[in-house]
Amino acid sequence: MTTENKENRRGVTRRDFIKGVGVGGGALVLFGQFGVHSAAWALSGEPALKMIVVDYGKCTGCRTCETACASRNRPVSVKGKELPGLGNPIHANIRVHSFNPDVDVAGVCAMCADTPCAKACPVEPDPRGRRAFYRDDATHTMRNDEKRCIGCQSCAKACASQRTGVIRPNPETGRPEGMCTLCGGDPQCVKRCPFGALSYVEVRRDRKFYGLGPEKIAAELARNWYGTTSFGGAQ
Amino acid sequence: MSAKPGYYGKILNVDLSTGKSETVPVSSRDLDLFVGGQGLGMKLLWDRLKKPGVDALSPENPLMFIPGPFSGLPVPSSSRTCVVTKSPITAPMASDHPHASTVTYSNMGGFFGPELRFAGYDGLVITGKAKELSYIVIDDGKVEIRDARKFRGMRTDAFDKAFLEELGDRKFKTVYIGPAGEKLVPYSSIIHTAGRAAGRGGSGCVMGSKNLKGIAVKGTGQPSVADHERFLAALEKARKALYGTAYAKSWAEQGTARAIVGNSKAGTESVRNYREGTFTEADKIGGDAARRDVWVRDIACFCCPLACKKSGVTKGKYGGVVHDGPEYETGVMLGSNLMISDMPGLLKAITVIDDLGLDQISTGNVIGFLMEAYEKGMIDRKFLDGIDLKWGSVDATLAMIEKIAARDGVGELAGKGVAGLARHIGQGSEKFAIHVKGLELAAHNIQANQPRGLSYATASRGACHMSGDNIAMQNRRAMLDSTGMCFFPTFEPALEEPMLELLSAITGHEYDKKEFEKAGERIFNLEKVFNYREGFRRADDRLPDRFFEDAFTIGAKKGAVLDRKEFETMLTRYYKDRGWDPESTKPGTAKLKELGLDFI
Ligand code: SF4
Ligand code: SF4
Ligand code: SF4
Ligand code: SF4
Repeated sequence: MTTENKENRRGVTRRDFIKGVGVGGGALVLFGQFGVHSAAWALSGEPALKMIVVDYGKCTGCRTCETACASRNRPVSVKGKELPGLGNPIHANIRVHSFNPDVDVAGVCAMCADTPCAKACPVEPDPRGRRAFYRDDATHTMRNDEKRCIGCQSCAKACASQRTGVIRPNPETGRPEGMCTLCGGDPQCVKRCPFGALSYVEVRRDRKFYGLGPEKIAAELARNWYGTTSFGGAQ
Repeated sequence: MSAKPGYYGKILNVDLSTGKSETVPVSSRDLDLFVGGQGLGMKLLWDRLKKPGVDALSPENPLMFIPGPFSGLPVPSSSRTCVVTKSPITAPMASDHPHASTVTYSNMGGFFGPELRFAGYDGLVITGKAKELSYIVIDDGKVEIRDARKFRGMRTDAFDKAFLEELGDRKFKTVYIGPAGEKLVPYSSIIHTAGRAAGRGGSGCVMGSKNLKGIAVKGTGQPSVADHERFLAALEKARKALYGTAYAKSWAEQGTARAIVGNSKAGTESVRNYREGTFTEADKIGGDAARRDVWVRDIACFCCPLACKKSGVTKGKYGGVVHDGPEYETGVMLGSNLMISDMPGLLKAITVIDDLGLDQISTGNVIGFLMEAYEKGMIDRKFLDGIDLKWGSVDATLAMIEKIAARDGVGELAGKGVAGLARHIGQGSEKFAIHVKGLELAAHNIQANQPRGLSYATASRGACHMSGDNIAMQNRRAMLDSTGMCFFPTFEPALEEPMLELLSAITGHEYDKKEFEKAGERIFNLEKVFNYREGFRRADDRLPDRFFEDAFTIGAKKGAVLDRKEFETMLTRYYKDRGWDPESTKPGTAKLKELGLDFI
């Protein structure tokens, strides 16, 4: 893991410094500079959990993670046998967003402690307290109950406006897609990333933790890497 | 009819004259024989240009973006798109056809080729000419041609941003030309992601001639494969051959820039307009220096475990964001070839050339030629519109680059390349006009590297450093650039078997090393037939006099110079081994038949 606080900046080489600028979990920890969404997990008092963390300094934007994720989470049936798919990135739960100047932000569900996505779901909670969009108690991943989901896209809107924007409503049904499944505990993106930019790590409860959208993360990285805040392209 | 596995069996044809776009089937036989990329592009060019001498800048000349069977699948380094068209640069010594020129192909990394395949096409062919400056948007099956007049004259970095903003969706992958392409400077490039280029051979000029500023594509589909399980197994092997290896790490560490110091030491670098093979200040512009002072990120193309691209930032007078560089080619052509050793200055030149949409290699070569002619007093400062074009001058280089892109004053003439310049200047300057068939040489110098001389002399697009130093390599490269895979990972021997396995699993056609090279031989021969029909003969496979006359005066290869007789002997043997007539270079009917080229 790379540097996470100001103390560690002393005595590091320029390259270490550059490399150390961006580490986050579908979110970003950047020398504590981000204060937009306050430390959700830190305040929540929930037990530690494991999740996907991105080292933006190591990420090269190669998009292998997208294909690995899609391959695992969109299996296909070949001659009656279920096999991993060919990995069409359109179906990935991790998404690499590219910018100019050259910044790539791999975005994945930040598994926010306060789940604004689930709170936004208008479906009545079931006896276990689950709305149609809910957090899986065992894995902490976000899930959709297809049977009860009305396809209103409130979850997606909440995530997009307040956090990472990873939820993609299905173009036909409106039901949410794009939430990380952690691949049943064997994250394929981590395994296949050629550059070791992804890790599956325990997030400490006291860790400052912010689920930001890729544009905000990219802007911060660009400012640190290139000294520029001028960004082109669509939002 | 179901398509051949690994393909859609169709290309998208956009006619800018009529505004009509349609999908056109590609036969399984053509896909079998010509694969994709450079090969399929050549076949489509052959089918569409039925006679020699078609003006490369006429609406008839198709501009083609062709991915390969690897594209759109998670195969390591399956990032390349081949841009194929008829060259607006090359010309034979003599021909019956006024607009005779070679085929040209330029291979580009990034994300455009895979995205074309996600959108459902094995290739994109653009013909005709739009009435006004336009751009094309391809969103799966939906194709639109839109007005681009408000973007006229926009440089590529600004356009990269403005284009995406206009499209409103970051998922689009885009290619575009800069002001140079709009102005039809012959060696204009096509740019992708502000820092990647289909640079060589003038494809940006052809795009400009169609009044086409940019192309955007996105898609949701994916091609099929012939044998799913075999594909997955081979994919694992291919990843294993590259992931975490010292080989891959060395690319991530320095990319091609490592060779800036290495080749200078070996005496194979282009220095001072190819006068020398060694640059005493190479370490100032090499990979170590760039890593220390410039680079902030290693960047990879689609599914590539190498990450040879580097972005960075420089400070001072020439400071700014650097999308890519120095690479070997850009660093040498604008660095050692011009005796420039100021890193920020060098990177400024590289950045501006991409921004204007010029080919880095030809631009560096042209400026090197002018510097030498100026030093020798063949041209004066007035000829250069007041630019004091001395060796090593960054400011003069930057001024000249702007002139070329704007076709302003001396830039109009310089835009014609070193062949055109030498014709104009005369005084024996053709001896150091470093081109073959009108296309400038790249950053590999050859006084001490005769095999590379063969590559330059016989390559299908004019002086090409990528073509291969012998017949087997030429065939292999032609095939490799037809698959959609990048050339760089393929130096790793452990990748060879999984790569062939992947190709077989995808296409259902069994490839071993021999079959792979055979396909390349077929492609190379069709290119030759095309060029021969245009009027290219043995006299065109010539190297500039400098390489036979000006021995290196410094470095490890001091004294090295090519021997004319030896070179001619090598050429004769080359034609014979190829099954071509050594006098005329005409490919023999027996060879063509053997390769399945009997439709010619
Ligand atoms: S695979 Fe790794 S390096 Fe490539 S885009 Fe994903 S996180 Fe970045
Ligand atoms: S879906 Fe969005 S809001 Fe919900 S936990 Fe994931 S990142 Fe947070
Ligand atoms: S789309 Fe479904 S899961 Fe999302 S908020 Fe609406 S009902 Fe709930
Ligand atoms: S852990 Fe699995 S589901 Fe989550 S982003 Fe990675 S590959 Fe996709």
